[in-house]
Amino acid sequence: MSDNTIIRFENVTKSYDAETTVLKNINLELERGKFYTLLGPSGCGKTTILRLIAGFMQPTSGSIYFNGKLINNVPANERQVNTVFQDYALFPHLNVFENVAFGLRIKKLGKKVIEQKVIEALKFVNLVGYEKREIAEMSGGQRQRVAIARAIVNDPEIILLDEPLSALDLKLRSEMQYELRELQQRLGKTFIFVTHDQEEALAMSDEIFVLNEGEIEQSGTPMDIYDEPINRYVADFIGESNIVSGTMVADFRVKIGDKEFECVDQGLNPNEKVDIVIRPEDLEITAVDKGKMKVKVDTQLFRGVHYELSTYDDEGNEWLVHSTKKADVGASIGLDFDPEAIHVMRLNETEEEFDKRLESYGEDAYAN
Amino acid sequence: MEKTSKSAKFYLALVFIVLYTPILYLIFYSFNSGGNMNNFESFTWEHYSAVFSDTRLIMILLNTVIVALLSALIATIVGVFGSIGIVFMRNKSLRRSILSLNNVLIVSPDVVIGASFLILFTAIGVKLGFASVLISHIAFSIPIVVLMVLPKLQDMNSTLIDAAADLGASKRDILTRVIIPFVKPGIFAGFFMALTYSLDDFAVTFFVTGNGFSTLSVEIYSMARTGITLTINALSGIIFIVTLVLVVGYYFVSQRGKNPVGMGVRK
Repeated sequence: MSDNTIIRFENVTKSYDAETTVLKNINLELERGKFYTLLGPSGCGKTTILRLIAGFMQPTSGSIYFNGKLINNVPANERQVNTVFQDYALFPHLNVFENVAFGLRIKKLGKKVIEQKVIEALKFVNLVGYEKREIAEMSGGQRQRVAIARAIVNDPEIILLDEPLSALDLKLRSEMQYELRELQQRLGKTFIFVTHDQEEALAMSDEIFVLNEGEIEQSGTPMDIYDEPINRYVADFIGESNIVSGTMVADFRVKIGDKEFECVDQGLNPNEKVDIVIRPEDLEITAVDKGKMKVKVDTQLFRGVHYELSTYDDEGNEWLVHSTKKADVGASIGLDFDPEAIHVMRLNETEEEFDKRLESYGEDAYAN
Repeated sequence: MEKTSKSAKFYLALVFIVLYTPILYLIFYSFNSGGNMNNFESFTWEHYSAVFSDTRLIMILLNTVIVALLSALIATIVGVFGSIGIVFMRNKSLRRSILSLNNVLIVSPDVVIGASFLILFTAIGVKLGFASVLISHIAFSIPIVVLMVLPKLQDMNSTLIDAAADLGASKRDILTRVIIPFVKPGIFAGFFMALTYSLDDFAVTFFVTGNGFSTLSVEIYSMARTGITLTINALSGIIFIVTLVLVVGYYFVSQRGKNPVGMGVRK
């Protein structure tokens, strides 16, 4: 544990009754000043982790440390943590100024100090001039900003964000992604962001925790997780991917169907069964005789920045291709890809074993 | 909105005529100098001045108002905390049974409540008078307040409480800065309802009053028994106007409560 650690979970389990366990033995360590994302589908336990940090609930077993101090039984109102709620939870009976000032008024700060801090916080979220507005008069995006201002004005060490962007429309959402990321860097505070949207997670985070059914599947930088997913679940959840079964023939040789391809993975048992991921954007359309693989185009969709092709090889595996080039539906095409594009995943590999294996490849093998 | 048909309009008018004619008739003759309700002689304020010069009647009026204000106030305080307790009750079946008990009190006949209070007070030796009337009025007002406050509390998003705690609010802060302000319209509505119920209560008061203490409705009843004078008309007229003012006041209070919700989001 380093000095920079702000939150540490030690074997944290949360269950509501004997049958429903929402968190299973979670261990994690969060560093000061970073942007973390808890990513997973609904019901995976990501909001529960947030609520445990905020103090709205206590773990069934295990310990939560904040700055090295055990905080299992510290109530929410005594924690140096503020939350931006999914539904914003702004007080409808107070105007914008009073909503932001709420925490400061509780602390019984002077009138002048409160005014100065609130204005400063509103400046941070570009809402100066809206002080007197009622909450009902604000749009969704503005309410979102009020909620953020209300959290940062208290100068907490950690800001928790519970899917704060999910109620916004697409354009506003991507705008807010930039703003949140920028805000976090300006404030230098630890942000813990909960979302089910993988694009959001990839765009904003320093580190992502991918959760599934109350367990952490994988943690790492957005690039690590995108390029080197640990298993089928993560690969499928993060971005679109082609996942097929294959066999590791030898080091650097993998077999899909009856074809062998060159890859960069090594150290696996000969003839071990593996899952193979190739990202759709790593597949390139070429002539049939030039490609490493021959497929038939089934459907083609225009997605704006690229075409999305659904193709099938002779074994019936589906290959999704993202390409700026157009192809003819029904035609046979060749697909070309680099050895690096093939990502081999061992079945039932733990995160520790996975990290060790990747390290053994050396830096050059998986650095971009 | 659909246009109301002619027959519907006629029916509505008829209903209101039947409902309001007796009251208007009564008020009309309160201005009659003739001294009876058979023929209208000329306009006069004399029955109203008779009301105001009758110190006994004024005392009774004051009693009525004091009982109404006090009982409404106490019932509101008890009712608000009661409904907060009910809303945050973890045990669902207990919550349901308490709510049912509350509703039973609202629908049960005043005569039953009055008679049972009379029996209770005489059994434990409470002297019938101001205290007994006040206690019984508080008792029948509490369920009304609960009924008005509870829906507002249930409307309140529970994340608001999380948010307040998150911002450092203690339990007390949460109560005074979030819950009470949020349900304020409900509290006002409950207070006004309790006030009007207490003001015009006859049956319960009739049972539990005694020892020279009386409220307006009981007094009017006994006046009417000894023979109709137009003073009763004047008094009834005054009460009617006061009630009207209260109802209008209640309307504005409840409108104000609805306003922020009804207002659309401005973009």
